[in-house]
Amino acid sequence: MNVREWALITFTILAQMSVGSFIVLGIVHYFTAKKSGEKQADELSDRALLAIGPVLALGMAASLLHLGNPINAYKAVTNLATSWLSREIFFGVLFAVAGAVFAVMQWKKIATFQIRNIVAWVAAAIGVALVFSMSMVYMMPTRPSWNLVTTPLSFFATTLLLGVFAMGAAFVANYWYVQSKNPGCASDQCVLLRDTLRWFATASIVLLGFQFVLLPLWIAQMAGTDAVSAAMLVGEFGIMFGLRLVLVFLGAGVLGIFLYRAASSPGQEKVMGTVAYVAFAFVLVGEVLGRFLFYATATHFGLQ
Amino acid sequence: MAKQLGFYFDSSACVGCKTCQIACKDKNNLPLGVCWRRVFEYAGGSWVPQGDQWIPNNVFGYNLSLSCNHCENPLCVNACPTTALVKRADGVILINQDQCVGCRYCEWACPYGAPQFDEAKGVMTKCNFCEDLLAQGQNPACVDACPLRALDFGDIAELRAKHGNVSAVEPLPVATITQPHLVITPNRQAQPVGKGTGTILNLPEEL
Repeated sequence: MNVREWALITFTILAQMSVGSFIVLGIVHYFTAKKSGEKQADELSDRALLAIGPVLALGMAASLLHLGNPINAYKAVTNLATSWLSREIFFGVLFAVAGAVFAVMQWKKIATFQIRNIVAWVAAAIGVALVFSMSMVYMMPTRPSWNLVTTPLSFFATTLLLGVFAMGAAFVANYWYVQSKNPGCASDQCVLLRDTLRWFATASIVLLGFQFVLLPLWIAQMAGTDAVSAAMLVGEFGIMFGLRLVLVFLGAGVLGIFLYRAASSPGQEKVMGTVAYVAFAFVLVGEVLGRFLFYATATHFGLQ
Repeated sequence: MAKQLGFYFDSSACVGCKTCQIACKDKNNLPLGVCWRRVFEYAGGSWVPQGDQWIPNNVFGYNLSLSCNHCENPLCVNACPTTALVKRADGVILINQDQCVGCRYCEWACPYGAPQFDEAKGVMTKCNFCEDLLAQGQNPACVDACPLRALDFGDIAELRAKHGNVSAVEPLPVATITQPHLVITPNRQAQPVGKGTGTILNLPEEL
C-alpha cells in the first residue's frame, strides 16, 4: 500500500458516496413531494443536494493523485471501446455534469417538477453506470481476489449504505439550520425528518444484512481462487477486517435500531441527530477500511 | 496472414548469465528499477538425510528469459484508457509515452509484468522489440547478446514450425489468458504450468 492506493480508496469511496447520496436523495424527494408537497420536500433536501457536488469533486481530485502524469488525464477517456477505466472516467465526468445541471435546475427552480425529475433520473442512471464501470475496472483475470462477482455487489452495497448515512447526516444538519433560521417552519420539517430517518434506519438494517451475506461470500470465493489473499485478510489484516465488521455492524445495525427508536419518539430530535452523525462516521470509517483491505489483500496472478 | 513477431527462448541452453537482461537495459538506457527483459531463476526440491549424509530430493532448477510477449490478446492494450498502447502491423506492441497518463492499469492487466513504470517520468515503459534496430534490419539487442544462442526472434508461425508450440512452463501464467507470442524449448527439468513445486529465487532487486 502506498499513497497511490490511498488516492484510489478516497476516489472510489467518495464517488460511490456521491452516487448513493444522489439516488437516496432522489427517492426521498420524490416520496416527500408526493406526501407533503414540493415546497416541503425542497426545504428538506435542497441543501443536502448541494453537498453532493463537492464530495464528488473531492473524489475526482483525489483520483488525479493516482496518476504518474496527471497532465495527460484528459486523454484517459479515449479508449471507451475496450477500457473499463476509460468508461469509469467517462461516466464520472458525465455524472458530475448531469448532477450539476440538475442541482442548478433544482436550486433555481428552472423548468417544471416533472422535467427536473426526468433530469434527476437520467443523472441517477449515469451514476449507476459509473459505479458499475468502477467495479468492472477491477474485474481482470490477473487480479484473482478482485475478479469475483462480489466486487460489483460490494461496490453497490457501499454506494447505498454510504448514500443512506451521508444523507441522514445531511438532513439532520439541514434541519438544525432550518430551525435556527425559521423556527416556525421547523415542526413540519421535523415530522418529515423523523419519517425519513425511520426509513433510513430500516434501509440500513436491510443493507447490513446484505453486507453480512456478501462478506463471507467474498472470503469463500477468494479462498477458492486466491488463497494467498484470503489468508492475508484473516491473518495479517485480521484485526483490521474484524474492526471493519464491528464498525459497520455498530453503525448500520446497532445505531440503526437506535436511530429508528429515536426517530419514532417526538422530542428525541437531539438524540436522533447525534445518532445519525455517529452512525455515519462509523459506517464511513468501516467502508474505508473495507476498501483499504480490498486493495491491500490483492495479489497479482502471473509474474509481477 | 499478417506477420506477427515473437520471441524464441531455449530454456535448455540458458545458463542464467543475464547478459540478455543487461544488453536490453544498456541498449534502451533503462533507469533503475526498470528491466524490460528479465531472467527468472525457478527452482525447488529439498535435501533429505540418509544415514550420515544429506542427499538431494527432487532438486531442480532452470532459467527463463522473458520480455513482453507482444500477445495475441494483449490485456494491456485493452486496459489502457488513453490508447497509449498500440499493436503495430507487425504485432509489436509499443507505448506512446506522450499519450500515457501513468495510471499503471496496464501493469495490473499484464500477467508477465511487461509494462513497467518509470518513476522519474511518471509514465509506463515496455519492451519495444528494439524497433530502431529492426528498422535497420538488425536483431534485438537481447538476441545478439546471448552467449548461448538461447534467444531468437522472428515471425511467430515460423518459430512455431521450427521449435514447437510450448509457450508456458512454471512459473509463467497459463498461455490461454493472453496467447503470448513466445516459443519455449523447455528445460529437461521444466515443470508444467500450474503444477510447479518450486519458487522464483531471484532477489526483488534483480527483477
